[in-house]
Amino acid sequence: MQTYLSEHNLHTLLNNLISKGVRVVAPKFNAGTVLYEPLENAAELVPDQLPRRSGKEAFFPLCEDIMSYSKEGQQVTVQDVDPSRFPQTVFFGVRPCDAAAIPVLDAVFSWDYKDQFFLERRNKTTIIGLACTTADDACFCTAVGLAPDERKGSDLFLTPVEGGGYLCETCTEKGEILLQQNSGMFSQSSSHTPLPLAKPQFEKLDLAKIKNWLENHFEDPAWDSIATRCVGCGVCAFVCPACHCFDIVDEGTEKSGKRRKNWDACGFWKFTHHASGHNPRDQQPKRYRNRIMHKFKYYDDKFGQTLCTGCGRCIRLCPVGIDIADIVKGIEQAEG
Amino acid sequence: MCNQNNIYLPYLATVEEIIDETPDVRTLKLVFQDEKVRENFSFRAGQFAEYSAFGAGESTFCIASSPTWKGYIECCFRSVGRVTEALRRLEVGDTMGVRGPYGNSFPIEQFEGKSLVFVAGGIALPPLRTLIWNCLDLRDKFKDITIVYGARTVDDLVYKHELKAWEERDDVRLVKTVDPGGETADWDGKVGFVPAVLEEAAPAAENTIALVCGPPIMIKFTLPVLEKLGFKDDQVYTTLENRMKCGLGKCGRCNVGNIYVCKDGPVFTAGQVKAMPQEF
Repeated sequence: MQTYLSEHNLHTLLNNLISKGVRVVAPKFNAGTVLYEPLENAAELVPDQLPRRSGKEAFFPLCEDIMSYSKEGQQVTVQDVDPSRFPQTVFFGVRPCDAAAIPVLDAVFSWDYKDQFFLERRNKTTIIGLACTTADDACFCTAVGLAPDERKGSDLFLTPVEGGGYLCETCTEKGEILLQQNSGMFSQSSSHTPLPLAKPQFEKLDLAKIKNWLENHFEDPAWDSIATRCVGCGVCAFVCPACHCFDIVDEGTEKSGKRRKNWDACGFWKFTHHASGHNPRDQQPKRYRNRIMHKFKYYDDKFGQTLCTGCGRCIRLCPVGIDIADIVKGIEQAEG
Repeated sequence: MCNQNNIYLPYLATVEEIIDETPDVRTLKLVFQDEKVRENFSFRAGQFAEYSAFGAGESTFCIASSPTWKGYIECCFRSVGRVTEALRRLEVGDTMGVRGPYGNSFPIEQFEGKSLVFVAGGIALPPLRTLIWNCLDLRDKFKDITIVYGARTVDDLVYKHELKAWEERDDVRLVKTVDPGGETADWDGKVGFVPAVLEEAAPAAENTIALVCGPPIMIKFTLPVLEKLGFKDDQVYTTLENRMKCGLGKCGRCNVGNIYVCKDGPVFTAGQVKAMPQEF
C-alpha cells in the first residue's frame, strides 16, 4: 500500500520521534561531510546526498566496547556490556545500496554464534529507505542486480514525488508498525507522480560468470595488474556497506581497560600476519584478490549472496583509482 | 561454549601451574574460576581457544591438554608477540581469560581399531599431544601408536618429561629426533629432519591414520613421505593455523579461500588441504 508523506510531515514525524527519545539516524552534515548520524532536529536532514560512509555503522560502530576489566591483586573482574542500553532507532533516508547491505550483514553476525552487539541494534531499528533520483558515474547498483528503488533491507520505502514529499510503501511488519503509530502524518496518495529514478550507467553483470572465473583463476597474472598499485590504505573496506571484518583489541593497562571491536580491513598487511612472521597474504595483490574473492565468490559460497551492493564509494575514494566495477566487468568479459 | 549472550566475553581462569618447556615455550595449567564452568567445560581434541592477558589482548592456541582430564585445561605457547609476552608475565594465582572451545576436532571415533602415527615438529606438538593423551587414556581402542617428534635442537623439544614417559611405555613407539647440529653429547635420539626420520621409521600404512602437525616446511616434506609409505590423502590429518581474532567465523581473517579455519577447521585431511588455494 502506498501513502503520501509531505516534507513538512516528515520533519514533524522525525522531530516527534526524537522528542520521544528515539535515536533518528539520517544523512546530515558533520564538519562539511554528509554522514549518517543521529539528528538533533529534522532540519539537519540532507536527504539528497549520498553519505560519505555507508549505513553499517548504525549497527556496527567503527569502534565499540565489548567488555571492560579491572584487576585487584591477582583477581580480574570482567564487566559485560548491557545490550538493553542500545537505543530504539529509526534509520532514515537510507540509500537502497546501503539498505540492501544490511541483510547481507545479518547473515554474518547471526551465522551460528549470534553477535548481540549487531543483532540487538538491528532488532531495535526500523529502516526507512529512500529511492535515488540521481546517480554519479561511480554508482553501479544496477550491475550487481539491485536498483535505485531496491526495497531489500527497508522496512518502509520512500520515493520522492514531483512538487515535494514522498510516496511511502510498507515493506515489513516493522514498517507497518511505525506507519500505524504515526498514521496522522501519512495521507492517501491519489495524484502524486514519482520523480524519475536515477539511471546508473552500468548494465547488469552476469555474477555467475564472474564467480566461475574466480573459481578457476586464484592464480592469475591479472591480480598483479589489477592491484599492484593498491597502497593498502583500507578506505575501500571502511566505506563499504557490506565489508564487516573487525579486530578485537584491549585498550588500557593490565590494571583496567576495555576490550573493543574495531573495524579492520583485509587490505592491511597485518590483517593476516602471524606472530611467527609468516604472512599467507604477504603481498598487496594477494590481499586485493581476497577482497574480490570474498565479495564475488566466498560470501556467495556461504550465504548465497554477493557482498557488494554497487554503492561506488570505494571507487570514489580510492586514492590510486582502483575501480571495482571495471574489475568485475573485465572478469565477466574474460570469462567470455 | 560460553553461556553468556555476549559471545566475546571470556571465562576467567586462574593460572595454577607454570611449566617451562623450553627457554621460550611455556605451559600454563588453568583452572576455571566459576565452579559451574569448571564442571561443565568440555571440548574435543583438536579444538582451540582464545586466551587473554587482560590489557594485552587475546591470542589463539589449541587446548593442549587431553579432553579426558577434568578440572583444568592447559595451553602451551612460545613468547613471540605482545599477548604471549604478557601471558608469560603471569604468575601462579593470576587471572587470565579463556574463550572457547572453538572449531572442529579430530574424529577420534573413526580412528578406533586403527593404528596411529603422530608426526610433529617443534612447537607443533601441543595440538597432537591433546590427541595422543586422549588415545593413550583409551589405549584399548587403538592398535599400534607411533610418535615421530623432532625439533631444531634438544633444547627446543617440548614436553620433555612426557617424551620420557612415552619412551618408557611398551605400548607406544617414540621416535625422537633433532636437526643435524642440534644434538647434545648425551642425546639418545636420532639426528635428522622429521620427514627423513619418518621415512626410515617406515610405519605401515594399512589400517593406519597419520596425524601431522608442524611448521609449513615440515608438512610440505612430510606429506610426500607419507604418500610414498602408502598413506592415502584421507588417512592423513593435520591442523592449520592462521591469525584469528574472533574464532567465531565473523572477523574475516583466517580464511584460506572460502574455508574458514576457525569454523571449518582447524583439523583437515591432507585431501582437503590439497584442494585449498595455496594461501596459507
